Amino acid sequence: LRKILVANRGEIAVRVIRACRDLRLASVAVYSDCDRGARHVRMADEAVAIGGSPPADSYLRIDRIIDAARASGADAVHPGYGFLAENEAFAGACRDAGLTFIGPTPEAIALMGSKTAARQAAAAAGVAVVPGTDAPLGGSVTDDEIAGLADRTGYPVMVKAVAGGGGKGMRVAGERAELASAVRAARSEAGAAFGDSAIYLERRLTRPRHVEVQVLGDQHGGVLPFVERECSIQRRHQKVVEESPSPVVAADLRTRMTSAAASVAASVGYTNAGTVEFLLDADGRFYFLEMNTRLQVEHPITEMVTGIDLVEWQIRIARGERLTIDPARALSPAGHAIECRVYAEDPDSGFMPSPGRVTALRVPGGPGIRDDGGLEAGDEVPIYYDALISKLVAWGEDRQQAVVRMRRALAEYEVQGIRTTVPFFRWLLDNPAFRDAAFHTEFLDTLLQQRRGTAFFEPDSSLQEVAVVAAAIHASREPRPVAAVSASDTWARQAKVESLRG
Amino acid sequence: VTIEVEIDGRRRQVTLRRQGSRWVAALDGREIAVSVVERGDHWSMLVNPAEAGLHDLSRISSEVESGFSRISREEVESGSSRISREVESGSSRISREVESGFSRISREVESGFSRISYEVSFEAGANGDLIVHVNGVAVPVTIVDRRRRRAGSGEAGSDTQPRTIVAPMPGRIVRVLVQPGEAVEARQGLVVVEAMKMENELRAPRSGTVAEVRVREGASVEANAVLVVLR
Repeated sequence: LRKILVANRGEIAVRVIRACRDLRLASVAVYSDCDRGARHVRMADEAVAIGGSPPADSYLRIDRIIDAARASGADAVHPGYGFLAENEAFAGACRDAGLTFIGPTPEAIALMGSKTAARQAAAAAGVAVVPGTDAPLGGSVTDDEIAGLADRTGYPVMVKAVAGGGGKGMRVAGERAELASAVRAARSEAGAAFGDSAIYLERRLTRPRHVEVQVLGDQHGGVLPFVERECSIQRRHQKVVEESPSPVVAADLRTRMTSAAASVAASVGYTNAGTVEFLLDADGRFYFLEMNTRLQVEHPITEMVTGIDLVEWQIRIARGERLTIDPARALSPAGHAIECRVYAEDPDSGFMPSPGRVTALRVPGGPGIRDDGGLEAGDEVPIYYDALISKLVAWGEDRQQAVVRMRRALAEYEVQGIRTTVPFFRWLLDNPAFRDAAFHTEFLDTLLQQRRGTAFFEPDSSLQEVAVVAAAIHASREPRPVAAVSASDTWARQAKVESLRG
Repeated sequence: VTIEVEIDGRRRQVTLRRQGSRWVAALDGREIAVSVVERGDHWSMLVNPAEAGLHDLSRISSEVESGFSRISREEVESGSSRISREVESGSSRISREVESGFSRISREVESGFSRISYEVSFEAGANGDLIVHVNGVAVPVTIVDRRRRRAGSGEAGSDTQPRTIVAPMPGRIVRVLVQPGEAVEARQGLVVVEAMKMENELRAPRSGTVAEVRVREGASVEANAVLVVLR
């Protein structure tokens, strides 16, 4: 491999371009209309336009991305996550075009992409699955038949899209009376999001934890599992904070979970990076949930506790190298790592997306801090894409030190022009349940419901007084315009000229 | 010069005067010494309540200086005084508020009451508000005087100034939760907009009365379209 096309944008495109640099490989960015000036475009060695701003016109256009790879002479494609990362047609199109797809085979993506087929594969590999239905329930299965299956599965029951992912097409029915509407809602959401309205049922475990195992598989039959990640802190089924190792997984359980994950991956001949997700109940029993056939957003915490660069290994595996990592190193965490997903969302307005231009940005640094971001001051967060702007990671010798460092980093983090979830994380890290690691997958939603929209940070009276005095001094020296949120470059330049005159 | 600043629905009066390279700010009658250095968009502010006699420091400072190295957190909490947040012993900083039996010290107090350092920057908020970032925390305020000036007439006070709620991005109106003439509380939901495949509730930035509702349920709106006007 000499040149890699990165079929993505934002912070993950930046992450992959960095890995290319480390391996002395050339990188090619692709961009939509609104991303012409984006950080990943500026950072890559080459960049190719692939269409309009809506994802369906650009980052989801298989034909245009393949054309861009041909035009730029790239010999491999990294899909990142989201967009086409788990699309077997895309992986197949790359193969047909003679391009190396940096990920699993189209066959593995298709197999694990069907949640029911994945459950069967896990069961065949001897791994327990969450009790539920085995076959997909297509549109022709009647409500009565589904009700019969739900009775056998047991309530409360989860209704889930067979083609699902990312928390979409998922509904809970607490009792039989709620089942029909849950099925209808899951079907319509799944049909819209994945073009497939088939569903299946799964018993809803009581207060489970979400624990997952990263695996790497090479093209020579080698499969390597990594120390687990704890991802129980979720908002509406979306992970918000992840950490590694899990505070509740002891050595014996780790051995059993990681070998189970490796068995599932090996049984389907899995190659490249993937993640086997489990639910862990209060009694320490774990159940296969699903397998994600791509790099995960939370991959940096595994990198921080093992010292292994997962993206670099994705590329090395794709070019045929054997896994030469010492298995003990992958399984024995050195210290503890925590990740906060920083989103362009306003936590004080129900996590409403907050697109716009970032007028000022100060990212934290110092011992143990890593910020995998995709923005610089002056960059725009467009309205068209996922609002993840940065993965903030803290490493410490133990969990306590990692938490302390994360709090320090969050206090340093400053973003202006858009709202972000940083104030929410400052609040969450001070929560006693978080400090005690006493959480499960519904913990955060319950907590947020109880708060009923209370502001995440009420400035205390000292900060308020300083703000009032600062505002008064600022106002007393007018005219000195403040850069407006939507200020154009010309406007900002004019403002600067005026303030220099002032 | 005296400037009125509205914060959290309260009006505070700040009278400023220059004292050499520094400012003395009288906040509702209490004086604070402030030194300001501008670094691009960021200000470094050193705030010194002691010099300007904000608190009755002669009575408190000796107690704090001699006391906190010896007083453990539990002792202080169980005693007559109360310490919210963390108190670190020795010469390191005492963060946040310390309420003593004498008066309330409302800022970070460093041992010996030397100057407290704040990083401050400014951002234009919605409706002419000013967002002051103090040590990375966004504090929205409104300069009352400035708003009067902009309105172009003396009688247009802040209470009669209309407030518009605009669409933050293109989307579709899912629900309208208020009607014209209705009284609304701060943070009360006004309109639900679907955008970026998510339903988002737009809330009232402050309490008031709904003057106008300019959208209907089901309507598509462009970014910055005015949805609701408050009075």
